[in-house]
Amino acid sequence: MLLEQLINGITLGSIYAIVALGFTLVFGVLGIINMAHGEIFMFGAFIGVIITSTLGLPLWIAFLAAIIVTGILGYMLERVALRPLRGKQGVSHLAPLISTIGASILLENLSHHLFGAGNHPFRNAFAEISFQIGSITIYLVQILIFVISVILMIVLSYWLLKTKAGKALRATAENIETASILGVNTKRIIILTVVIASAMGGIAGILVGMAFNSVNPQMGLSMGLKGLAIIILGGMGNVRGAMAGGLILGLSETLIVAYGDSGYRDAVAFITIIVILLLRPQGLFGQKTTAAGR
Amino acid sequence: MMLVEIVNPYYLQVGSFILINIILGLSIYVTLSSGQLSLGNAGFMGIGAYTSALLTLNFDVPIIVGVIAGAVVAGLFGILVGIPSLRLQGVYLAIATLGFGEVIRVFFVNWESVTKGAVGISGIPHIGREIFMVLKDAGFDPAIIGLKNNQFVFLTVFFVLLLINILLVWFIFRQQNSRIGRAFAAIKMDEKAAESMGINITYYKVLAFVQGALISGFAGALFAHVMSYISPADFSYHRAVEILIFAVFGGSEVIVGAIFGATFLTLMPEMLRFISEYRYMIYGLILLLMMAFRPQGLIDVQVLHWFQKLRLPKRRAEHGSKNQKHL
Repeated sequence: MLLEQLINGITLGSIYAIVALGFTLVFGVLGIINMAHGEIFMFGAFIGVIITSTLGLPLWIAFLAAIIVTGILGYMLERVALRPLRGKQGVSHLAPLISTIGASILLENLSHHLFGAGNHPFRNAFAEISFQIGSITIYLVQILIFVISVILMIVLSYWLLKTKAGKALRATAENIETASILGVNTKRIIILTVVIASAMGGIAGILVGMAFNSVNPQMGLSMGLKGLAIIILGGMGNVRGAMAGGLILGLSETLIVAYGDSGYRDAVAFITIIVILLLRPQGLFGQKTTAAGR
Repeated sequence: MMLVEIVNPYYLQVGSFILINIILGLSIYVTLSSGQLSLGNAGFMGIGAYTSALLTLNFDVPIIVGVIAGAVVAGLFGILVGIPSLRLQGVYLAIATLGFGEVIRVFFVNWESVTKGAVGISGIPHIGREIFMVLKDAGFDPAIIGLKNNQFVFLTVFFVLLLINILLVWFIFRQQNSRIGRAFAAIKMDEKAAESMGINITYYKVLAFVQGALISGFAGALFAHVMSYISPADFSYHRAVEILIFAVFGGSEVIVGAIFGATFLTLMPEMLRFISEYRYMIYGLILLLMMAFRPQGLIDVQVLHWFQKLRLPKRRAEHGSKNQKHL
């Protein structure tokens, strides 16, 4: 029983981690909290529903389509909500937060009109396949989600650490002006960051669709807020923190549902936000110097 | 009598909504005027609404006591959240308060024995009807001034809210030109500079935050007694964003901005029915466009001066601060 719950928690947590990575990349490079990330994630989930359930195409096409659509959404978000505010005199640091809130409200209600308000089932061929190991049941979907998440995290870490573009991104995150002086095309890096973050959100959307077998326009908001909780837990802009934070939140939510009151499941994330911000604003894995207030 | 035809309950109802929304707009204006962005005002509004509704329903206290209690409890929560949140600035404060609002909502949904959960509370005493009953017992009949009963009820609500609005705007206006208001403005411009000038920023930031919480709680309590029905969905994230839009759209630097924003954005879906369906999409667009093109909102200090010049062509307008940090 406990082992099964742990497996559920890890599955959920690895999805959370992918969502949180999108937040943390954008925050790391731009110092902006992208409130629309949850809604981009939700669009990815809907693309998954359309491709697999409505059109009946295989899952890998769904992934591809979701990456493309959410990537485009990310690009548009950068152009419309972020770029106009950058480098403008007299704009407060709250402006990007508010404009991405605007984008999130717009996207949420757009999907309301496009796809309808209700739950959409997410059908796939192997939803029911499971393995019996001793007394515990593991679903193939869970393994798939976990494997995809881990691959994604490894690829992202490798890309950030070893490739030229990844180094340029980290340089931009460190100091945008210095990076620009040293020949990094920061404008392109920023676009790249937002697009990659959004595409990861899209992938996470499909993973959530697979895990919960239901997709609705409101899921973006709750997932977005959880993603926020995770990056605050793990430390803003901290890639490893986002992964660990995702797993912690996934496990604690699953355990609350299993052994506590399932109604308070969503409160876990928000209480985490408040407690962490008050006790350790730099997050569990953050350094003291980067803490508090930008 | 003519009054019967003029007084339309529907218009009065819309008017009452506008007045409540103005109070909400003012609640976020006050916190913004000290440079803090709170997304928890929907949560405070919920606390005020539930406190007052539960008190009046379960303990038979008069509405006015319930409303005051609702505002005070919300204010107390404001202190509770405000003091520790001082360590947070800007974006972090926004997220912490957003988290707070959601926690409050989750509690309303789950604390079913008291709040009746997601179903909400109905049959909350209505301000207008209560006043009407009191007057009726005193031998008053609305027919004397030529009104039907329900017209009188809606008219009473409207005027009670109008009076509250006038008092509140007056208060905030007076405060703005006082020591407190100038301290808020100084903190908004530059916190460190304000501190070095001897302003106790801890005190004034908490004060602004608590005022915001108090006013939202007050608005929430009034909302409960005007709608007679509340549910956790009334105080969700969308409400928080809506409140934010009132100030951001109208203008977050001047009182008139929040008033105009709340009025216009409440009227718009009522006037243009077809817009109602796309309301939140339009809200989203408004936020995007405002931040890109006019981050200080439609009405700012310059616009106000321009109006003043129109009215008083001879008097030289004072100089507005051009380099003020916009929201």
